[in-house]
Amino acid sequence: MNTNSNVYTVIYTTVVCVLVAAVLAFVSQTLKPRQEANEKAETISQILTAAQFGEKSSWTDNNATINFYKENIASAAVVGANGFAVSELNMADAEVYSVSKLKAQNYNIKGGSDVELPVYIFNNGVTVLPIYGAGLWGPVWGYIALSSDLETIVGAYFDHESETPGLGGKIKDDPAFRGQFPGKKVIYGNGKAFNIVKGGADGMANGIDAITGATMTSNGVDEAINIWLEAYKPYVLAQKAVTREPAEDGIMLLSEETVNE
Amino acid sequence: MNEKMKETILNPLFKGNPISVLVLGICSSLAVTVELKGALVMALSVIFVTGLSSLVCSLLRKTIPSRVRIIIQLVVVALMVILVDQLLKAFAYGIDKQLSVYIGLIITNCIVMGRIEAFALGNKPIPSLLDGIMNGVGYGMILVIVGFFRELLGSGTLFGFPVLSAIGYTNNGLVILPPMALIFLGCIIWVQRSIQKDLQEK
Repeated sequence: MNTNSNVYTVIYTTVVCVLVAAVLAFVSQTLKPRQEANEKAETISQILTAAQFGEKSSWTDNNATINFYKENIASAAVVGANGFAVSELNMADAEVYSVSKLKAQNYNIKGGSDVELPVYIFNNGVTVLPIYGAGLWGPVWGYIALSSDLETIVGAYFDHESETPGLGGKIKDDPAFRGQFPGKKVIYGNGKAFNIVKGGADGMANGIDAITGATMTSNGVDEAINIWLEAYKPYVLAQKAVTREPAEDGIMLLSEETVNE
Repeated sequence: MNEKMKETILNPLFKGNPISVLVLGICSSLAVTVELKGALVMALSVIFVTGLSSLVCSLLRKTIPSRVRIIIQLVVVALMVILVDQLLKAFAYGIDKQLSVYIGLIITNCIVMGRIEAFALGNKPIPSLLDGIMNGVGYGMILVIVGFFRELLGSGTLFGFPVLSAIGYTNNGLVILPPMALIFLGCIIWVQRSIQKDLQEK
């Protein structure tokens, strides 16, 4: 057979493309539930790591991670730009706000329009707030865990899509970078709520040192933290204003109704 | 095992090493060698992709129209790379996260297409599979050597465990940056050519 005729070439390439597309579509559909379960467990493990329930490497089993989350979560909800809860996340199902949604929210925060801000509150009073922004090569995101005074940081965890390993990748991989967060404070006053600075963060209550050789990534994380903390400001200030008694069934979120009464 | 088979297996490791002799796949060897672990998993993924793409292309070699062969090769390689990525995402999520973008970039690795074009299209499936795998190994070997020195001298660790940093070594920031990988590669090529005189250009 003449494999160089035009008809043969067109038919051959068409068949190959259709076959390959079919294989990929099939594989993608078959593996999707597994991949989504992995992603969800990953998100939860990042939240748990930020809240200092264990090192990131300890959350290897998906089911164990989700069960631990279910046992320890007190309240998970989405609040609006005014700081009031707009909807609850299904805790029995360990529902989380996925990173891809945060991307759109990030855009909305910059534009100042309506936003949905996920809040995770654990039984021990720790509140975890997600952040999302742009690093050097791609998105960076993470979780900041605040103690029950909503001022002191108990921990943080960051992740990224394509930062350089060994440089910007340290926001995720270097325990020393994350280790700077516990004990620092989020201060809503004049200037930025939190700072990632080039040297000299030693005496700062709300600042940490940036990563050497990863200025763009550090700046990106700094900007991400500040954009989101600013968005959460109404919520955090409202929560701080109420004297909160740790209730038996966890901590109640403010809702518009309770304030009006 | 006959002579030809033996050469197919041993040649890519030393005499015809894809990085140090053919100088292919340089970009990725600069990018993923900051840490040893990344270099190792990248090496394994490339071995998988080169092996299987060579095998598939060798099976198809008599049917591929020669005018569109590069495109067909590219489709096969892309298929393999996406399969690796999807499988890692489903069954080894942690590793997939570590390698992030680099898995996708295997498509652009000249070694994969180079071996299909140079070997798989003219040889039977089994030798082609071997050739693909061994070229992946030859590539991975250099990656691991460079990764070893870069992580050791740049971060003072190996596989993330403190080695030099435990004995008071000050990390060399230059080693972490890509230019230093090029210098290490140069050193490897230098060493190899001083051992193997026939590679030297007159």
